[in-house]
Amino acid sequence: MLSPKDNVASVMEEVLSGDDVVAQGGIETLLLRAVDKIPFGFKVATVDIRQGDPVIKYGEVIGRASNNIQKGTLVHIHNIEGARGRGDLQKNR
Amino acid sequence: MKEEDIVMEFRGYPRADGSVGIRNYVLVIPGGLVASKICEFVPGTKTVMSTKEGVGFTSRDRETIARTLFGLGLNPNVYSVIVQGGSPKAGYPELRTERLAQEIAKSGKRVEVVDAVKEGGTLEAIQKGIKIARELVFEASKVRRQPFSLGKLSLGVKCGHSDPTSGMVGNPVVGYLFDRVVEAGGIAMFGETTEIIGAEHILAKRAVNRQVGQEILARVNCIEKRALSTGEDIRTMNPVPDNIAAGISTIEEKSLGAIYKAGHLPIEGVLDFAERPKKSGLYFVDSWMGIPSIFPGFAASGAQLNLFQHGGGAGAPNNHILDPSPAVVSPMLWTSANPITYAQTKGSLDFYSGTVIEGKETLEQAGERLVNLVLEIASGTLTRGETINYSEPIEIYTIDPIF
Repeated sequence: MLSPKDNVASVMEEVLSGDDVVAQGGIETLLLRAVDKIPFGFKVATVDIRQGDPVIKYGEVIGRASNNIQKGTLVHIHNIEGARGRGDLQKNR
Repeated sequence: MKEEDIVMEFRGYPRADGSVGIRNYVLVIPGGLVASKICEFVPGTKTVMSTKEGVGFTSRDRETIARTLFGLGLNPNVYSVIVQGGSPKAGYPELRTERLAQEIAKSGKRVEVVDAVKEGGTLEAIQKGIKIARELVFEASKVRRQPFSLGKLSLGVKCGHSDPTSGMVGNPVVGYLFDRVVEAGGIAMFGETTEIIGAEHILAKRAVNRQVGQEILARVNCIEKRALSTGEDIRTMNPVPDNIAAGISTIEEKSLGAIYKAGHLPIEGVLDFAERPKKSGLYFVDSWMGIPSIFPGFAASGAQLNLFQHGGGAGAPNNHILDPSPAVVSPMLWTSANPITYAQTKGSLDFYSGTVIEGKETLEQAGERLVNLVLEIASGTLTRGETINYSEPIEIYTIDPIF
């Protein structure tokens, strides 16, 4: 975890579904069980994140959950979306 | 001044305007048939190939084109310049041959004009240009390198093919270098306006004053409005597919990792593409991320050396050759923190900071190693890109429609 505020952690080696993951750098060291395969450098949810809630990395908002994300899940474009530069959400196009 | 600042020296070419070259080229501008033939014939020469010549461009964009051309001529790595005239595009006031020559001559550099009309034809202009270029490279070879402090350097950086190692280690190590150069009295530039969307509030807080902070926010707002007007989700454009394949999920995530390359010091100002900073410090350049664009832009702003902080997590073939310098007169140093990228690009990568991820080095130790490498390259050691004879046309960052 890059900041204590984060709700995701970046894995420093590939994690397989069912593996235990130790997430350091948060308020406390967390022990998670991965429910997906998490490739090197990708993000895993360190808590349950509800749809529409902000996803936090570097202590800052990197987007919002596009569906409910269970702790231990791979966090990527399938379950989070950006909030910025969303031309597709503009009305009157 | 700290003790280590005193020993932090490189050997460069002194220039009349007080700047210091780390290379010693003769530049021929603008690019074209005459310029390319001169460069084919005479070693030690460089030229600028660009499809944006100014014809049908607005005055604002013509000025950007002119600024890029004479900016490259003013770059400390350039000893002297040949300006070729007589082309129809030189009819625009911004692009007049005499104007380009005068802007460069202000630095005290020798500037020669070769005009095909006055010479009586293209072949005659090539002949004259070759004669002059031979004389200029001979003269250039007599300049000797002398010791100068780290603070005489101006650097530009872009991060690219970014992956999670970029924001975690690769960019922070470059940021360490930037802090050191700026502390020593040098100039450091970063840009890529799209790639600070979502992180602009952090940069604005680091501005030297409120006005600069507002300017950073305004530049991002302008780009984001442009993105909204397309009707597309910016994620379908940027982060680019290889960022996403490597684990970066949104533009905000990319930006928040990208800004680490700017170190920790206050941001002195916002520059337009190819604009020259008036004093030392850290600058944000309002620019587009493309390699053929941002790097020549930094060089035109005076950067003697560029850095490309490479993620590469999406993978590349083994023995992959990284893009050699696209900045015309300024070499490019490739860094990466990704161990897999390091293995795949060994003969092309200049610096590896994945040692921090592997626990073999601290960020500061890697940063210090990078400072030393920069000083070596500034003293004449080649970048890996400089071992390849290849150049691509540059893309000048213009803004308005063309007519």
